[in-house]
Amino acid sequence: MSSLVESREGALVEDKMPTMDTHRGFVIKLLHNKRFLYLISIVGFLLLWEWAALYTSYAEYMPTPWEVLKELVRVTQKKLAGKDLWGHMWASIRRVLIGFALGSAIGVPLGLLMALSRHINALVKPVFDLFKPMPPISWISLSILWFGIGEQSKIFIIVIGALVPALINSYNGIRLVDPGLYDAIRMLGANRRQQLIHVTLPAGFPALFAGLQIALSVAWGCVLAAELVGARSGLGFMIILGMNTSRPALIVGGMVVIAITAFLITYTLSKVENVVCPWKVELPQ
Amino acid sequence: MIVDSIKIECRQVSKIFKQRGGSVQIPVLKDISISVLEKEFLVIVGPGQCGKSTLLRIMAGLETPTTGRVLLDGKEVTGPGPDRGLVFQKYTLFPWKTVMGNVEMGPKLAGMPRKKRRDLSQRYISLVGLEGFENAYPHELSGGMKQRVGIARAYANDPKVMLLDEPFGQLDAQTRYLMEQETTRIWASEKKTVVFVTNNIDEAVYLGDRIVTLEGKLPGSTANVYDVNLPRPREHTDIEFLELRHRITEETALLL
Repeated sequence: MSSLVESREGALVEDKMPTMDTHRGFVIKLLHNKRFLYLISIVGFLLLWEWAALYTSYAEYMPTPWEVLKELVRVTQKKLAGKDLWGHMWASIRRVLIGFALGSAIGVPLGLLMALSRHINALVKPVFDLFKPMPPISWISLSILWFGIGEQSKIFIIVIGALVPALINSYNGIRLVDPGLYDAIRMLGANRRQQLIHVTLPAGFPALFAGLQIALSVAWGCVLAAELVGARSGLGFMIILGMNTSRPALIVGGMVVIAITAFLITYTLSKVENVVCPWKVELPQ
Repeated sequence: MIVDSIKIECRQVSKIFKQRGGSVQIPVLKDISISVLEKEFLVIVGPGQCGKSTLLRIMAGLETPTTGRVLLDGKEVTGPGPDRGLVFQKYTLFPWKTVMGNVEMGPKLAGMPRKKRRDLSQRYISLVGLEGFENAYPHELSGGMKQRVGIARAYANDPKVMLLDEPFGQLDAQTRYLMEQETTRIWASEKKTVVFVTNNIDEAVYLGDRIVTLEGKLPGSTANVYDVNLPRPREHTDIEFLELRHRITEETALLL
């Protein structure tokens, strides 16, 4: 298998000296094919991983790709601390959704009010700016002291994490609306309320939605961090369990599931975005 | 000139922009008096940065004059309002609305029932030649088509005066030429009082009943007024057309 890759790399050198030979022409064409290069990238990475897991000094704690896959299949059938893989996945997702919903339910309206009212902005912004640079994870200890190691403390961290990008983006989204659009709607006879409905909200919406996307991915990061400390369920817990029981395949398997879930969430949201704001293409003027 | 037939007029309008809390003052317009007659197509010509867009924004009510007044039907203009329709150089369409959504916005704000405003908007969409594009979003349209939407949107609100701020300034020469012809056609079928601002003398002679030129440096003030007594439709290559165009160019010394 590895000699095959080497021969491809050999062909890459040939690429600099194109000949009329049809066989070489085919190889060059293949090397310009994006999908083929994607394949090379993935296969190459898996091979490198396999090699590292078998022959380097980290091999003892480095599972091979195949072992990770087997471990993942195993935990879909066997329960860890009372839950199978899907159970742990749902435990994490549920925390994210609750925390994200609460965080944006506070952040978005607050951001809108700050953008619309100078007085509210002056009242809230100094305090917000004070808290903004604190990484949400730095709240973990305090959160556990306040709420114990149950669901509440984890959701609290996520709320903090989701609130900040939700607020900042809805605030900026509204403030950075093209003033020309207000001129246009006022010339058409809009009163204050109509300006809000027909310009402020729709024009600010894409930025607001982008804020929600960021909030969701931050929330996902927060839940894992929170689950690393004193949790009995969730993907973060699965990873810690793998560490405590010396099962590297479980750790890496957990990481893979985390990545796939995060990808699916982002993908779904970008699809939702296409539906809720089909005009988006033009907005960054 | 009969006083009664004046539709919109500027009386000794001056504008000074203040920056840095008033310590820097930039005089933009100085003592401008212009009267636009009922159903007249008036073109204001001046080079870039002569304050002509500011003058139009003052007539629109989006800026307040530092001194002087703007009167519409004898009443002072105090702010933006639906009795004046503004067409923007940068189109400024609502990107989240379709062509129909943009054009019907004015009647919708005024509370016109859906069926009625749809019919009305459809008429103006057809007038500007955009049938079949009712459900397109602005980003799907070319510059010329966007500005057609901008014109239809202003017309659909049935304003007393149309104000056009260098509406074709961002178009390529070919499209611009076409849009000038279209403007003449639309204006002929829906006669309104029009104030049209441009930096292009050729465009001014092609479109205007009357042309007011502004001085080429700040603060802007009126230089000359020309009556364009050429029959419509006009030809850019007619001898009278060229003569007038030449005369205006000579007398205003616009470096264009």
